Amino acid sequence: MNTARVYIPETPPAVEVQDVLHYLGYGSAQPDDDTLGLINDCKLKLEAVMEPKAVYASYPLKFVEGYPVLENCGFKLVGREIAEHLQGCSTAVMFAATLSLSTDMLISQAQAKDMAAGVVLDCCATAAIEKLSEMVETEIKSAYPGRYFTTKYSPGYGDFPIELQKGFLDTLNAQKLIGLYTNEACLLVPIKSVTAIIGVGDEPPKGLKTGCAFCRLKDNCSFRKRGQYCGLSKAAE
Amino acid sequence: MDFQRLLNKPFVILDGAMGTMLQKLGLPAGGHPEAMNITHPEMVEKVHRGYIESGADIIYTNTFGANRYKLQKSGYTPEEVISAGIKAARKAAEGTGCLVALDIGPIGQLLEPSGTLDFEEAVDIFAEQVKAGVKYGADLIAIETMTDLGEARAAVLAAKENSSLPVICTMTFEKSKRTFTGCTVSAMALTLEGLGADAIGINCSLGPDELKPLVEELAAWTSLPIIVKPNAGLPDPVTGEYKFSPENFAKHIADLVPLGIKIVGGCCGSTPDTIAAVRRVLDSASPAKREVKTIPAVCSAVKTVPLDSVRVVGERINPTGKKLFKQALLRQDIDYIIDQAIDQVDAGAEILDVNVGIPEIDEKQMMVKCVKALQSMVRAPLQIDSSDPAVIEAGLRVYHGKAIVNSVNGDEESLDSVLPIVKKYGAAVIGLTLDKSGIPKTAKQRFQIAERILNRALEYGIPRESVFIDCLTLTASAEQEGASETLKAVRMCKEKLGLKTVLGVSNISFGLPRRELLNQTFLTLALAHGLDLPIINPNAESMMNAVRAFRLLYNIDKGGAEYIRALAEKVESEPPANPAGNTQGANLNLGYAVENGLKDEAAQITEKLLETTDPMQIIDTCLIPALDRVGADFEKGRIFLPQLIYSAGAAQAAFEAIKTRMSKSSGGEVSKGKIVLATVKGDIHDIGKNIVKVMLENYGYTVIDLGRDVDYNLVLDAAVKHDADIVGLSALMTTTLKSMEKTIALLKEHNVKAKIMVGGAVMTADYAGKIGADYYARDAKEAVDIAKKVIG
Repeated sequence: MNTARVYIPETPPAVEVQDVLHYLGYGSAQPDDDTLGLINDCKLKLEAVMEPKAVYASYPLKFVEGYPVLENCGFKLVGREIAEHLQGCSTAVMFAATLSLSTDMLISQAQAKDMAAGVVLDCCATAAIEKLSEMVETEIKSAYPGRYFTTKYSPGYGDFPIELQKGFLDTLNAQKLIGLYTNEACLLVPIKSVTAIIGVGDEPPKGLKTGCAFCRLKDNCSFRKRGQYCGLSKAAE
Repeated sequence: MDFQRLLNKPFVILDGAMGTMLQKLGLPAGGHPEAMNITHPEMVEKVHRGYIESGADIIYTNTFGANRYKLQKSGYTPEEVISAGIKAARKAAEGTGCLVALDIGPIGQLLEPSGTLDFEEAVDIFAEQVKAGVKYGADLIAIETMTDLGEARAAVLAAKENSSLPVICTMTFEKSKRTFTGCTVSAMALTLEGLGADAIGINCSLGPDELKPLVEELAAWTSLPIIVKPNAGLPDPVTGEYKFSPENFAKHIADLVPLGIKIVGGCCGSTPDTIAAVRRVLDSASPAKREVKTIPAVCSAVKTVPLDSVRVVGERINPTGKKLFKQALLRQDIDYIIDQAIDQVDAGAEILDVNVGIPEIDEKQMMVKCVKALQSMVRAPLQIDSSDPAVIEAGLRVYHGKAIVNSVNGDEESLDSVLPIVKKYGAAVIGLTLDKSGIPKTAKQRFQIAERILNRALEYGIPRESVFIDCLTLTASAEQEGASETLKAVRMCKEKLGLKTVLGVSNISFGLPRRELLNQTFLTLALAHGLDLPIINPNAESMMNAVRAFRLLYNIDKGGAEYIRALAEKVESEPPANPAGNTQGANLNLGYAVENGLKDEAAQITEKLLETTDPMQIIDTCLIPALDRVGADFEKGRIFLPQLIYSAGAAQAAFEAIKTRMSKSSGGEVSKGKIVLATVKGDIHDIGKNIVKVMLENYGYTVIDLGRDVDYNLVLDAAVKHDADIVGLSALMTTTLKSMEKTIALLKEHNVKAKIMVGGAVMTADYAGKIGADYYARDAKEAVDIAKKVIG
C-alpha cells in the first residue's frame, strides 16, 4: 500500500519581488518606489495569512505498449505527451500543493477594497505557490539521491487532460489531507494550488522537452509577444 | 435500544476505521470503498462484526462517500449503495443490540463561494442519502469528517428535514484548532447545537494525543454529549502502519475522560483491537460531571463573538435614507455593500446588521446574495434584518454561523411567524418591546412585552441566552419623556430577566441640533443602564469613543490598552502606497491626479470643479481624456497594471464625488450606458473580470457585476432586465469556455440586443468569433475601447 505523505514547510515559501514583477507584466522595466512599497506590503500580508501545504506519493512506473502505467495506483495516465515526458523513468511522484483558502479570501477581500492591492496580492500568491512547488520538488528529490528527474507536468498541459484533476486529488487524498478540491469545471479550489507529476529515472530524462520552443502555444503566447516567459518555460530553463 | 437510551450508559463506544480495514482486505487502490457493499458484502460485514465483537455500541455503515457526486463513475446510485451498506451492517449487528448509523461524509467538492457547489444542491445531495438511510432502516445519522461548517450545516439540515432520526456530527480540525476552511471549535458548537444536532465532536486528522485543547474548548461551548473519533496517529510513509498501538490509543482516550467526553471511537488506522482497548479502558473509568455554563454568543464560521461585554453592531448596511445605497441595490452592486462591511469592521463593529429591503427589488434574493458574499469577505457575525419572515428565513438558511434575527415583536402574529424560524436555524433573536397597539409609554409596559416575548421564545425551545431585547429609542424632540423610560426598561430587562439588550441609538436626536452630542450622551447613558449591543454607525468616531471610554471606565478594557491604542495621539501615518511621485508645488488638475493615481486629490478637485462645472463636462473633458492617456501608456508598456489600476481608483474617487453630488441634486445617475459582467458558470477565477469592471466604471459606464460562477440564465435575466448595451463574459480555462459558449447561445436564442464581449486567458479572437461573441477584449484597456465603440 502506498501512502500519501503530507508536507508542510517549516518556513513558508518566500515571495521574490522579481517574480511578482514578472507576473505583473513588468518584464525588464523598473518599478517605481510606490509600486515596490505596495508589493512589499502585499508580500507581508500574504506571508501572515497563507497556509502552505502539500501532499505527495510515489508509484513504481512501467511502460505497457509504450504507455506509462502507475503500479498499485488507481490513477490512469492519459495522453501521448505524458508518455513521452516520463520516458525512461521507473518511478513517478504525484504531488499537490496549496496556499489554502485563507489566501483566496485575502485576495478577494483586497479586490473588494483596493483593486491594485488585489492584483498585486494575486501575483504575490502566484509567486508563492510556484515557490512552494519548487520546495516540494526539492523535498521529493531528496528522497532519491543520485537519481534524475523530469520537470513537473500537470493536468491541463499539452494533451494531459485537465479532466484528470479530480482523480489526481482522489489518489493523493488531497481533499482530506490538505483541503484541496476541484469543482465541476476541473478548476482547483483553493485557487492558488498546483498539481503535478514528476518522473524519476536512473539517467537524465530524454523525454518530452518543455520550454518555449516545444510549446504548442508558442505562436500565440502573450508572454512571448512581450519577450517574456511563463512559469512552465521557466521551470524548464 | 435507541440512541437516547444508549446515552444513559457512562460511555458510548463507536466503531473504528472502515476504509483502512477494507484496504487490508484487498480493496483495490482508487476503487470506491462503498461499492464493496454490493460486490463484497461479506467483507464489509466482517469488518462490522469485528467492531461489534470488540464492544462497539454503534457501527457506522460503509457509506462515507455514498453521495451522487462521488459515486458518479461507480455505476451505482446512492440508494443502491446505502441499502446494501445498511443490510451488511444490520446482518452483523443482528441480535447484538448494536445500533446502525448511516455514515455521511463530505460531498467531495467545496461549497460556494470558495467552490462552486450551491448550498441547496448540497442539501439535496445529502437529503438523497438521508432518505435512503430512513428507507432502509438506519437507527441514527452520523455526519463526519466535515471541514466546512457550511457543508456540515447542509448535512444536518438535510437530516432534520428528511428524518426524525437522531443526528450526530463531527468535524475535522487541524493542530491550529481550526478546520481547513477556518472554522473554529466554538463556531461549530454554537451552530450545530443550534441546528438541533444530538451530539457533536471531532474526528479524523489528529491523533488522540492531540485532542486535549480541542475537547477542552468544545466542552466549554456545548451542552451536548461530546464525540471523539481520532485517527490512530499518522501513517508511516514507508510501511503505511499507523503510529498508535491499541493500548497507546486507549491510554490517550482515558486522558480525555476528565474533560467530559461521552462517545468514543476511532478513525483512519484504528482496528477492532483499538476499539477493544478503548472499551476496556472506559469500562473501568467513570465519566466526568460536566458543568456547562452556556455563554451567550453569536458567530460566523470563523469568528465567535461572546456577548460578555459591550459589542458594537454596525448599522450601515441599510438603505433607509441612503440614495447611493439604494442605487447600489438596484444594480445589485454587492461590492458596494462589502465595502460598507469592511469599513465598519475596520472602524470597530463586531457584528453587522444586514438590511437590504427596498420595494423595487426581490429582497429575499438580495438577502441571500448579500449573506453569501458577506460571510466570505468579513469575519464578523451577521444580524439578519427584515420585516419579512420569508426574507429572514432565506438569510438564515445560507448563513453558516449563529446569526441574530432583527426582529420579532410582542404581536402574536410576529411571534408565531418568526420564532419557529429562529428555532429551526438556531439563531438568536431581538425582541422589540412593541405590539399591535404600538410602543408602550412606560418602562413597565415595555418590560411586560419583553417578558412575553421571552416566554414565547422559551416555549418554542429557543434558549434564554439567545433572546435579546430592544426597548426602543424614541425621538427626544417628539417624546421627550420617552428617553428615560427607554433607559429604565433596559435596566429592568437586563436585571430582572437577565437578558442581553439591544438599542438603535441615533433615533434619539432627530430634529435637534448637535445630533452627535445627543447620540453620544444617550449611548453612554444606555451603556450605564446595561445596554449590551448598541446598533450604531461605527464610522462615527464620537460613538465609538463613547464605547471605548465606557469599556475603560467599567474596567472591561484592562489597563486601557484598547482605549490608548485607539485614542493616543495618532502619528500621521503614511498614506497607502500610490505611484504619485512628488506632488509638492505641482499645479494640480484633475487630469494630473488621475494620471498619477491620487485618489484624495482627485475627489477634492472634482468637488471644487462641481461648484462651477457641469458633471458631464468634467467627465468628458477631464476624466476620460486622462484615462485615455493612461490607457495608451499601458498599451505601450510605459506603465504597468498597478499604475493603471491606481489611475482607475483616482478616477473612481472623482466619479464618487460626482455621483454624490448628482444624487443630492437631481437624483439622476451618471451613466454612459449599461454593461453586464460575469465570470461564467463553473469558473471562479474572477480577477480579470474585476479589473475590467473597475476600468469600465471609471469611464462612466454602469456595470452590473454578476460575480463569478454565474448561471447562464442569470446572465440572460440581467441583460434583459437592465436593458444592457453590452454583456461581458470572462472564462479562464478551456473547460469553462464551454460555459461561455452556452451562455452566448442562450443570449442569442432570446435575441438579446446587447453586444457580447468576451475575454480570458485562453481566449483568442478566432475562438471568440466561433462561439458567437461580437468582440474579443485582450485586456481591460481593450474592453474600454470596445465599450466606447459600442456605446460611445
